[in-house]
Amino acid sequence: MLAGLTLFQFYPVVVAAVQSFQSFNPFTGATEGFDGLANYQALFSDPAFLAALRNTIIYIALTIAVEIPLALFLAQLINSRLPASGLLRITVIATLAASETVAVLVWNRLYDPTHGLFNSVLHLVGIGAQPFLISSVQALPSIVVMAAWKNVGLAVLIFLAGLQNVPPDLHEAASLDGAGPGRRCRSITWPFLRRYAVVSLFVSTVAATRVFTPVMLMTQGGPENGTTNLTYYTYQQAFQFSQYGVADAATVCLIAILSVVTLIQALALRDRE
Amino acid sequence: MIQSIARTAPRVARGGLTAAGVVILVLLFAFPLLWMVLSSFKTTAHVVSDAYPFTWRSIFPAAPTWGNYDSLFRDFGFGRTLLNTLVASVGQVVGSLVVCTLAGYAFARSQMRFRGLLFGLCMVGAFIPIEATVVPLYRVVKELGLLSTYPVLFLPFICNPFGVYLMRQAFRDLPHELFEAAAMDGAHGRTVFWRIALPNVRPALASLALIQFIWSWSNYFWPLVAMQTPTRQVAQVAMAALQTSANSQPLYGQMFAAASVVTVPLVILAISLQQYYVRGMLTIGIK
Repeated sequence: MLAGLTLFQFYPVVVAAVQSFQSFNPFTGATEGFDGLANYQALFSDPAFLAALRNTIIYIALTIAVEIPLALFLAQLINSRLPASGLLRITVIATLAASETVAVLVWNRLYDPTHGLFNSVLHLVGIGAQPFLISSVQALPSIVVMAAWKNVGLAVLIFLAGLQNVPPDLHEAASLDGAGPGRRCRSITWPFLRRYAVVSLFVSTVAATRVFTPVMLMTQGGPENGTTNLTYYTYQQAFQFSQYGVADAATVCLIAILSVVTLIQALALRDRE
Repeated sequence: MIQSIARTAPRVARGGLTAAGVVILVLLFAFPLLWMVLSSFKTTAHVVSDAYPFTWRSIFPAAPTWGNYDSLFRDFGFGRTLLNTLVASVGQVVGSLVVCTLAGYAFARSQMRFRGLLFGLCMVGAFIPIEATVVPLYRVVKELGLLSTYPVLFLPFICNPFGVYLMRQAFRDLPHELFEAAAMDGAHGRTVFWRIALPNVRPALASLALIQFIWSWSNYFWPLVAMQTPTRQVAQVAMAALQTSANSQPLYGQMFAAASVVTVPLVILAISLQQYYVRGMLTIGIK
């Protein structure tokens, strides 16, 4: 177990860290000795990398802003045991079980600027055609919306687990005492839910950091580097430009960002307990 | 009587309204998947031309056909592709069941030294997603000569920190009395593991197997990089290639058919085993 983990999890990280300081022969991929910080210099003078770095942060922020409220809303709806809320639960599980690639391919058709269903519905209600994925402004939010649809299920399940911990009598007692729905939500539901909120925040953040398939299959990082992120940048450097040293340096940056985010959230979680 | 009707009528009406609202929400939310299946019965030409402007044809196939499915299996060898995907997924399920169960049992029950430290190390791996290490991992499997072989599709993932966590949790939750009773009966080591521990964690094993299967089945990034023999390629990558086939027009009809073939069984599996699926996903989420 440990041997396997070491070989496939830790060793690659170490390889990346070491080789990020080495230069490579672009044709054979062989190392050519240490090269100091050259790879990092190349990295930080590449506008595509800076865009990838910026976009990685934007992906995280937007994903949290879209996914968490949506998840909370859906979880409340499922938990309220309205008629047909069981159907909603099944739907959420279905989107979660479908693959990201499938989601991307289907939404690609929906977003199509000339033959897409979204524009055809917008046309129906009198709104002009939107460029979606071919616009450097709209492309990233479009990917985030698609990813939120695909991934929200996990956050919903997490919130549902939290909501099921709330004793129903508490709500009844509070409403007898004259507490309105807003007040009940804040004083009763939220304290039970806070820990689960941090967990779903964490899960969404990691998911937003590792976005790859949509960038690869929807926009190839474009337009004008509008959707590229560290994962995609790393892929491009290694497998399209054979710049392994630069790719390794970018990998190190990606893991550093993930570690910082994880650490912050782990600390936040510990404070609560 | 009249009063009570007057009181309940709006409530029933409101209940019906919310139910209708929820059903609309469900349809909207499920729409991309429903539309995918409906579109798989359209020709590529119709997929493109029917969407805009909006008519009933934008959603439903006007002349449903099995043509895409025929072409998918006849012209693109999708049967073989599915078989490759199945090999990868079964390999991952079997491998991770063995590794994660043994490691989880050791972490839960043995008194070995540095147990906490080793487990902590193991969990650090959970925070490094595969997407972050694809490039160095690619070079590792290349050096090992595993590139484009079947094992490369699942071998790197069978030592799965989530799986270890899930199994350790399951073994820890077993009551002490169970093991004490076994010890009184004179059972040791392997007998305890096979006869006592393992049969009692069946739900966790089911969760682990299901999650690993779905995860492996949906994997795109790693096979894209590590599998360079087209005849051994997995379904997700082969399906995506239909959208961007370099030398011909995109084949949206076949693409939707492939997406349906890949998705529908998986969704049915997840929904019919949802108690295991949800439990597994939550263990991954809540640590």
